Amino acid sequence: MNQNQNRFLTRLGLSNSFAICGITLGLLLCNVSSNAQETQIRGFADFGTNYSNKQANFTLGEQDLFITSDVSDRLSFLGETVFKYSATSPTRFDISIERIILKYNIKGNHNILFGKHHTPVNYWNDSYHHGRVLFPTIFRPDMFNKGVVPLHTTGIRFQGQNLGKLRFGYDALIGNGEASTDAVDFNKQKSIMLGVSMIPIDHFRVGLTYYHDNIPALAVLHHTTNVAKKDVDQSLYSASVSYFGNKFELLAETSVGINAYQDTIDGVETTVSPVSPAGYLYAGYRIKQKFVPYLRADLLQFNHEEVLFSNNMQRSALFGLRYEINYLAVVKLEYAYSETSHEDVQLSHTNTVNFQFAIGF
Amino acid sequence: MNKILRHIILPFLFAAMAMVVSQDAHAQDQAIMVIANDKGAPTSMTMKELKSVMQGEKQRWDDGTKVSIAFMKANTSVGSSTAKKIMGMTGDQLNKFWLALVFQGKAKAPVFYGSSTDVENFIAQNPGAIGVVEAGHILKSGHTVTIDGKKNF
Repeated sequence: MNQNQNRFLTRLGLSNSFAICGITLGLLLCNVSSNAQETQIRGFADFGTNYSNKQANFTLGEQDLFITSDVSDRLSFLGETVFKYSATSPTRFDISIERIILKYNIKGNHNILFGKHHTPVNYWNDSYHHGRVLFPTIFRPDMFNKGVVPLHTTGIRFQGQNLGKLRFGYDALIGNGEASTDAVDFNKQKSIMLGVSMIPIDHFRVGLTYYHDNIPALAVLHHTTNVAKKDVDQSLYSASVSYFGNKFELLAETSVGINAYQDTIDGVETTVSPVSPAGYLYAGYRIKQKFVPYLRADLLQFNHEEVLFSNNMQRSALFGLRYEINYLAVVKLEYAYSETSHEDVQLSHTNTVNFQFAIGF
Repeated sequence: MNKILRHIILPFLFAAMAMVVSQDAHAQDQAIMVIANDKGAPTSMTMKELKSVMQGEKQRWDDGTKVSIAFMKANTSVGSSTAKKIMGMTGDQLNKFWLALVFQGKAKAPVFYGSSTDVENFIAQNPGAIGVVEAGHILKSGHTVTIDGKKNF
């Protein structure tokens, strides 16, 4: 544990909200009856090849195990653990707990969930995450790899789904912030996420979310190497539209991050609020049941005053072909171009051909 | 680049495709009927309500009983007819739909059986259970659910 973490840990204290939540959980568990337990183990795995910079590589993907279990009539469990290659691990492999969720059905379609969640910001993060056989493309959109979207949150979530004729849904999640661990929060402020969605017709969903977090200076964002250069007050506004019909597929998501911080400009203390939009558009068309040609374009337009995200702009475009052998086996072949630039000066670009064989089991 | 594509990537792609035989059952026009445990499900529903339930959109019945769903396997004629007539999907699409839903933690996984008798037995033992069996199946317990006024469809 480094000095920075120690500094935060010494400031750590149990807040009133955690105490209230603990009591609530205790009361809920008192009602758990002793029904027979139903447990299922499912999983995903993938293998790939890629060609880039005049070199071909074989790539072992992830092995993702997820477990679901009905603990009682109202209480259920979902756990997800991923085994994947890691260059920094002594064994060259890492194990990560992706989700541990205790879900209690309050009434009808209203639930309270405790644990580590895929932060339900937008569509992709909560719908696919590590389920590569479900991915419409080989890899996640860029906005999920560059720290724009908070991938996980450990905390308490209220969830409603399929309410009324428009199949309205809501999510409210309070948790440890982006810069914290699964065990401790490094500052007193909690991250808050609020989301609404609806499915007015089959296969078509629209959603809006708001996420707020306070990220202390020197904190490292999850799944990135981004280090906060200052204390940041983050607001993230997101919207998504998805349609996955029998023939046509469309998915568009955008997030606009406002990472405000205090700075001294000309001797005056000033709040700087850089705005950084990011997003992508995916479209596919199904031919003869199993073949889906598709394309995707990503754009991350980071503000040059950013102290949390990168300062560079990133653009990428890809097109590919997906062949669905059956619902548990999919192969994809894809060409992708991406470039990074700073203030209209191109810093780098890559051309890659990727192939992936993904299965569920 | 072309050499790599020709000798490595494309052979892998086609080998992978050839390795797994498609398990899609050909949709047949098998008449089906909906049965349910006496606790939970009503005795009549509209097709729209049934579709909503079978898509995991309802966690509890009006009396508070938890919804459990039983399907025939998609490679049976009843299973493929269920997917087509109720959900407007192929059997593979139904399986993928439910895999995604369970992975997202949004619904309790349905159970899949190979015979109408197995579906009926599951429904008999689980309050709130609903399922689809072959039309004309003689019930020993539970009740049929008429859909848009029809017992078989």
